[in-house]
Amino acid sequence: MIKQLWIVFSGLFLLFSCQDTDEYTVNPRENFEALWKILDENYCFFDYKAIDWDEVHSRYAVQIQDSMNQFELFDLMAKMLSELKDGHTNLYSSFNVARYWDWYKDYPPNFYEELNDAYLGKDYKIAGGMEYKKIANDRIGYVRYSSFSSTLGESNLDYMFYHFKECQALVIDIRNNGGGSLANSERFASRFIQEKTNVGYIMHKTGKGHNDFSEPYPIVLEPTERIRWLRPVVVLTNRHCYSAANDFVMKMRMFPHVTIMGDKTGGGSGFPFTSELPNGWSVRFSACPMLDNEKQLTEFGIEPDIPVSITESDLLGGKDTIIEEAILYLLRTTEK
Amino acid sequence: MARQIIIGLLLCFLLQPEGKAQEDETPYAVTAATSIGYGRYNVMDTYLTPGSKISFQGGGMRILDERMKLTHLASSRISRQQLFNMDISLTDNGAGTTNTLNGFADYSIGYHYRFKPIDNLVLLAGASAHLMAGFVYSTKASNNPASVKADLDLNISAMALYHLSIRNYPLTLRYQVESPFVGMLFSPHFGQSYYEIFDQGNSSGIVPFTSFHNKQAMKNYLTIDFPIGKIMVRAGYLNSLYYLNVNGIQSHIISNSFTIGIVKEFVSFGGKHIKQQSRYKSAYY
Repeated sequence: MIKQLWIVFSGLFLLFSCQDTDEYTVNPRENFEALWKILDENYCFFDYKAIDWDEVHSRYAVQIQDSMNQFELFDLMAKMLSELKDGHTNLYSSFNVARYWDWYKDYPPNFYEELNDAYLGKDYKIAGGMEYKKIANDRIGYVRYSSFSSTLGESNLDYMFYHFKECQALVIDIRNNGGGSLANSERFASRFIQEKTNVGYIMHKTGKGHNDFSEPYPIVLEPTERIRWLRPVVVLTNRHCYSAANDFVMKMRMFPHVTIMGDKTGGGSGFPFTSELPNGWSVRFSACPMLDNEKQLTEFGIEPDIPVSITESDLLGGKDTIIEEAILYLLRTTEK
Repeated sequence: MARQIIIGLLLCFLLQPEGKAQEDETPYAVTAATSIGYGRYNVMDTYLTPGSKISFQGGGMRILDERMKLTHLASSRISRQQLFNMDISLTDNGAGTTNTLNGFADYSIGYHYRFKPIDNLVLLAGASAHLMAGFVYSTKASNNPASVKADLDLNISAMALYHLSIRNYPLTLRYQVESPFVGMLFSPHFGQSYYEIFDQGNSSGIVPFTSFHNKQAMKNYLTIDFPIGKIMVRAGYLNSLYYLNVNGIQSHIISNSFTIGIVKEFVSFGGKHIKQQSRYKSAYY
C-alpha cells in the first residue's frame, strides 16, 4: 500500500516538473512571432475590420532580420499593429509607446482649450474631475469633464447637480475626453434614468479563433437613488471622445431627454487587455467587444444627433460654435 | 452535481465525531509548530499574459502554523493535522520590466491513519480538506491586472515520522506529501473580464469542478525537529507545485522554501476539559 502510494506521488512529481513557458529572449523573430500570436488569438475585431492577419504576418515576417536592433524591431512591430487601426492597441517598451491616433488626428479638432477657458471664466467650480458653472443667464448648467480617468464621486455629482437646481437644462461637455474608467461612465449615466435600462452588451473571446465569441451579455444600468437629472441635456462630442467617453455617449443617446451634439465620436468599443512579449515589452489590445443596446459595435464612433462644427469665423471671433448651438437648442427646447 | 458531492464529502469530513472522551486517560497533547520561511517562486498565468506564457520569478516569505493531535477515533490510531500558511512574494519577468505581487493564504484540516511498521517509524495516510485564497497581481496589466485564486480541495495526504538519536541527541524527521484529487475553484473564462463577471454579474461557469485532468498540485514538506536547550526547533523545506488548466486559462505557481520555527507541545484544558483543572494549576480558572 505504502509502496503504491509512493509510486503514484513520485509519478505526479515528475509530471509536475515539466514546465512549458516562454523564456526571456531578445531574438527579433521570436518576439515578432509572439506578438503576432498574442493578437491572432486574442484580438476581437479582425472580422469586423476585415483584416487578414495571416496576410499581415506574411508581409511583415519577411522584414524581420536577426541582426536588427531593438529600435528597428519596435518600429516594425508598431507598423504592424497600426494595421489594426485601433486606438486601444499599443506596444510599450522602455523607450517608446506605439500608438494609433489617426481616429482623431485626421479630423477637425472641434475643441480649443483657449475657447473653453473663455466660457468657463475664472469663477467656475471644481468637483472631482468636473469643472462647472451656470451660463446663459443662469438658465443652463455647463459641466466640462475632460477625462473619465478623473475622479467622479457620487458626492461630486450631487454637489454639481445641486448647484444647477434652478437651471432648466444641462450641457455636458466631454470633447477631447479620451476615456478612462467605465465605472465613471456608468456612475454619471445612472443620474439620467428612472428605471433599470439595458444599455448594451459585452462579449468575450471563448477560444483562439477569430470568431470565437460568447453570447452577448446584457449591460444593465441601474438608476441612482441620489439626485437625478431629468430635464433636457446636451452632450457635446468630438472625434477625440474615445473608449469610456464613447461608452458614455452610447448610453446617453438612448435617453429621450438627451441630445448628442458636435462631431462623431472616435469610437473604441473594445475592452482592452494587456499581455507581454518574451523581451519584456507589453502589448495592449482590444479583447472584449462592447455593443450598444441594438447589439451593434461602435468601434468606429457614434454619429451625433445634431452635427455641429466650430466655424472659422466663430473661432476668429472667440466663439465656440458647438457650445453656442447647444445653448440655443436648449433655450428653444425649454421655452416650448 | 459534482459541486454537491464535494460539499457533501467536505461536510462528512469536517463533522466527524471525536468519539467518546475518556477523561481518565493521559490527555493528548497538541504539537504546535510555527515557522517562517523564505524561498524562490515561479509564477505563470495566461490570464495576465494572454497568448503567451511568461513566467515571473523572485523571492517570497511565508509563515506556517501547524497543529497535530491524536484523536480518540479508531483506538487513537487517527491523528488530526491543521495547517495554516500565508505567503507573499514579489516576482518579475526575465527582462525585469514587469513585476507580479503574489499573496496566498491556505488552511487545511486532515485526518491520518497511523501505522507503526517498525520502532521509531510512524507512517500516516489520510485525507485533508484544503481552502486557499490568493492573488497574482501584475503591475502592468490594464483590465486584466490580477488573477484571483480561490480553491476548495480534498487532498490525499501521506506522512512519515522517524525518530532517531545521534549520541543521545534526539531528532525527528518528517516527510509529508499532499495532493488534491477533487475540488472546485474560481476562474474566469478565457478572455473574460472581471468587469463582465463582477460589475455585470455574468458568473456562469466561473466555479468549475477540478480533479487531476485540469489541476495538478502537490506539496512536499520535509522537516527535522531538534532541541536547543529547552526549545524544540523545526527546520524544514517546503516544495509547492500548483498547475492549472481551467476555463482555457493556464497557470502555475511553484515555490521552494526553507523554513525555521519553534515547536511546542501543550494540553488544552479549555472548554469541556476545564473540570480537569485539579491536575494543573491555572492562573485564570
